[in-house]
Amino acid sequence: MILQRLDTIRKIEVVIIVALAIVLLIVPHVAGTATVTMVSRIMIFAVFAMSYDILRGYVGVIHLGYALFIGGGAYFVGILFTQFGVGIPMLLLAVVGTSVYSAIWALIVGKISGKSGMIATAMITMAFAEIMRSLMTSWFTVTRGADGLPFRVPPPFNDRTMMFYASFIFMVIMAFLLYKFTKSPTGRVWQAVRENEQRAIFLGYNTNRARTIALLVASVVGGLSGVMFGLLNRFVNTDLLDMQMTINAMLYSLIGGTGTLFGAILGSALVVYFQNLLLDLRGVHFIFERWLLFIGALYIVVVMFMPRGIMGFYYDWKDKRAQKKRLLQEAKLPPQLNDEA
Amino acid sequence: MSLLKVSGLVSYIGLFTILHGIDMEIQPGEAVAILGRNGAGKTTFLRTVMGLVKTRSGTIEYKGQSLVGKPPHKVSKMGIGYCPEDYGVFNELSIEENLILAKHKNDAATAERIAYVLDLFPDLKKAFKRPARTLSGGQRQMLSVGRSLVNSPPLILIDEPSKGLAPVVIEKMSLALKEIARNSTILLVEQNFHMALIVTDRYYIIDEGKTVHNGLMKDLENDKELQHKHLGL
Repeated sequence: MILQRLDTIRKIEVVIIVALAIVLLIVPHVAGTATVTMVSRIMIFAVFAMSYDILRGYVGVIHLGYALFIGGGAYFVGILFTQFGVGIPMLLLAVVGTSVYSAIWALIVGKISGKSGMIATAMITMAFAEIMRSLMTSWFTVTRGADGLPFRVPPPFNDRTMMFYASFIFMVIMAFLLYKFTKSPTGRVWQAVRENEQRAIFLGYNTNRARTIALLVASVVGGLSGVMFGLLNRFVNTDLLDMQMTINAMLYSLIGGTGTLFGAILGSALVVYFQNLLLDLRGVHFIFERWLLFIGALYIVVVMFMPRGIMGFYYDWKDKRAQKKRLLQEAKLPPQLNDEA
Repeated sequence: MSLLKVSGLVSYIGLFTILHGIDMEIQPGEAVAILGRNGAGKTTFLRTVMGLVKTRSGTIEYKGQSLVGKPPHKVSKMGIGYCPEDYGVFNELSIEENLILAKHKNDAATAERIAYVLDLFPDLKKAFKRPARTLSGGQRQMLSVGRSLVNSPPLILIDEPSKGLAPVVIEKMSLALKEIARNSTILLVEQNFHMALIVTDRYYIIDEGKTVHNGLMKDLENDKELQHKHLGL
């Protein structure tokens, strides 16, 4: 009934989304542990990339220390589980702690971005992540430094299938909440800030406040993805606070489509899958050891042919199609009606 | 009490002083044109009122309250609508979203104002859900002006609404502005003398950052020498 009211493209979209959801739900029952873990990782990275897209794609903040959040969340879980015991109460404490930790960083960055330019903010945030990485490395008695911290996780998260479904639910809930946020009045202000901050100011908006709200939302969600990543990996080390993690988030959202939110899901799926595929091909030829070369090539191809990313390309195509349809309809109208149209 | 009173206004951008002494007084309900040659300081004047350009000396009072040093978003919240010369619409948002974004309140009166804007500019109603980037220059200008009306601001600053528009669209826009001027106070910066003549009753001429002349539009219409001297007509 609902499908009948939708146009063809919308129907195809709904069918694809439903089909993908069904495929995802049966993955743990038909695929091996490696695939299940890879897909779980994709879903968690998708949330991390979506939260990054809120910053880069919606308010135009370049946060080069975004690894602070995924790393911070994972460290919260790891430290609490190893120091105070494994259990759901500790997990809830990790969630609360990560949220507070992320919010504090968001407020600090919000203050800085309001006063300094975007380039200064990018540089300062990069320094923050490096400071945190250095702290985690030095705090050896608790974090085991660069060696990393292995830990056990409580049931049901210790089961790969359950962890997969937890990641799926986490991704769906976060995607829904972030989507709702982008469509809310605050989300519209974010888009206005991204497009032209001065114009948003003319309309009476305090753009610094809007940017800080975006930072808060993105950072907390980014931190929670860190908690999930910790639960999935059962291990955390300082690589999670490395600049590479920020670049990954940037890459996922760029390839999927900056400012499209759901593009980040596509981007992370494509890059993580491609990365795994290349690693599997190492035995075939030594060139595949250098998998970053191929990821770089993928990035160049996407930027050259789809500057707005895959989803951006798709939305542009839909826009052009709708415009063509409109023009054809107008051309079919009798001249006197056509004037009004 | 004047709605807007500007005295001895001097403003600057970086090392350069742009306005050297602007004096102006606008009464509620008036439609006033700011005329002058290119580079005279007309746009800078509007930007100074909005708080986008820094004031070195002089006063700007709106409803008796000083605007000097106030951030632009506060000036806007105080009830001054601004249509910049580059239209200032958000290309990726639809017309509907652009209008909603402008709302300061979520009440019935604001909803009525949006309906009024759509009645005033039927072109916007037809393309209501379309992204602003798909609109023509004229439609963007309509959206820009329409958006400034959403909160029913007591004063609307409009910067060169005729810029880059086809003559037939300028005509349409002039009539719409005339209609708006019946219920609002308008300060219109315009190079197109014909449009200023239709919309406004009074004028100020700015030259080299100073107000050099003011009077009634009907007098300026007949004063060819003044038109030639200050407007190059």
